[in-house]
Amino acid sequence: MSESQALETNLSGVADDLDAPPRSFWQRFEPIILGTSTIVVALIVWELLPRLITLSAGTKLFFTTPSQVAGTLWKMFATGSIWTPLSVSASGFAVGLGLAIVVGLPLGVLIGRSRTLNAMFDPFITAFNATPRLVFLPLVMLWFGLGLWSKVVIVFIGALFPILINTYEGVRNSDKLLINVVRSFGAKEWDVARLVVVPNAMPYIIAGLRLSIGRAVLGVVVAEFFGSESGLGVMMVQAAGRYQVDIVFSGLIIFAVMTLAMTAAVQVLENRLGRWRPQRTGGE
Amino acid sequence: MADVTVQTATESAAPPIPFSERYFNVLLGLLSVVLFLVAWQAVFLFVPFNQLFISKPSLIAAAFYDMVMSGELLRELAVSAVPFVYGFSAAVVVGVTLGIVMGWRVRVGYALDPIMTVFYASPLVALAPLVIVFFGVGVSGKATIIFLLSVFPFIFNTQAGVRAVDRLLVNVVRSLGGTEKDLYLKVVVPSVLPYIVAGARIAIGRGLIGVLVAEFFAASEGIGYAIARYGDLFALDKMFACIFAIMIIAVIMTEGIRWAERAAFPWRVGR
Repeated sequence: MSESQALETNLSGVADDLDAPPRSFWQRFEPIILGTSTIVVALIVWELLPRLITLSAGTKLFFTTPSQVAGTLWKMFATGSIWTPLSVSASGFAVGLGLAIVVGLPLGVLIGRSRTLNAMFDPFITAFNATPRLVFLPLVMLWFGLGLWSKVVIVFIGALFPILINTYEGVRNSDKLLINVVRSFGAKEWDVARLVVVPNAMPYIIAGLRLSIGRAVLGVVVAEFFGSESGLGVMMVQAAGRYQVDIVFSGLIIFAVMTLAMTAAVQVLENRLGRWRPQRTGGE
Repeated sequence: MADVTVQTATESAAPPIPFSERYFNVLLGLLSVVLFLVAWQAVFLFVPFNQLFISKPSLIAAAFYDMVMSGELLRELAVSAVPFVYGFSAAVVVGVTLGIVMGWRVRVGYALDPIMTVFYASPLVALAPLVIVFFGVGVSGKATIIFLLSVFPFIFNTQAGVRAVDRLLVNVVRSLGGTEKDLYLKVVVPSVLPYIVAGARIAIGRGLIGVLVAEFFAASEGIGYAIARYGDLFALDKMFACIFAIMIIAVIMTEGIRWAERAAFPWRVGR
């Protein structure tokens, strides 16, 4: 009873949002106010928890407060001790993701344009995409050692498939009529790709890129946990072993900010690249 | 939320293919897999690779056969399956419940969306060392990591599914005198379920990552541990056998869900 009422109010609420422009201040900013206040309340409760109830000694070992984490983060940036591991992690991330784009984009276009290639690659892509690429981590470490390159390879195979598959989907969905028109005017396959297929696939490619950022960060973290000498992941594992929970959380926050910042950058890129587009086609 | 949109993009792609063409595709796919294996095997005739670092398909197949026959593979898989089942079930229950509440109650959605997005965006795998140190190397530690990784696709997809319930349909069922039960069985569940199943597909991949990370880290048994140990022992044939076992399972699980989606919600496939 109450549930279905909830359903109704919710749905009418959504409809209101869509139909009429928000009227009052409260209506306009409700989502932001509610969202931030949840986070603030969660942080305050977390901060006050050890002061309100006494934690057992064992739990205390694993406990940290937001203020401690903030202090640790501040210290890391103030003393500059964070820059070395951060740059090590960032370079693995950047090289791996860059390689994934350089390989995944052209390969996605090729597979999307050729039925034969598509059929030949399909079993491999399906198998690798379904499998968590982490299974290859011990193998990659065996082949590439403890250093930048095994990290790059893990990031690369993690980030490759979202880009490859989305490019492929975008290419497959491009307008046949436009392709035929460009062809009739004597365009080569290269021109078709440049003029029609890639611009058409752009929303898909961007969506793939967004996904691959998360995968790439995951790759950096895990590769550094198991096979690296320096980097943020190494810092976190060592800190966990020494019960320095605040350092673990600092690392997590840095990774999260990295992911969110990159995703936001991709969003900006998407808006820029999509400006010429008369209306949203494809994409969703 | 990002995954939800990509989900639909993936589904919209496949146009109906005539049977002859599909047949051609399958044959060509098989051919390329066979060619790949033959080339892999043949390379060893020409290049003397160090067998410590690479193995041949024939040796891998033999190792796979041995491990299946001795029951070792099955035992390791069974050990890994237990925390997976616990963590994943907890993720379904918690994720779907939270998702429903967040979808039904707009204010709850507003309140929880940002904090959940932050969690979803942060690489929670990074908490694995902490979780392991806290819970130990047993089932509970692994299950916690799996839960943490796989709960968010359920939350966001269920929320999106509840939001997508057609208000018109709700009103129609009501106007025609439908009961609460009708409302749920005929409108709400059919509309939300496809989203949950799509979320499950993402969550399975993340759950498997959780299994592997937890077992690479600290374990004394399990399939992830087996891969890491055989790597350390340079027993590449057995290591590849385990890797292929995981690949097979992952493909069966994701493709199985995809197949179930097509069978159960045919109206979603054309979108």
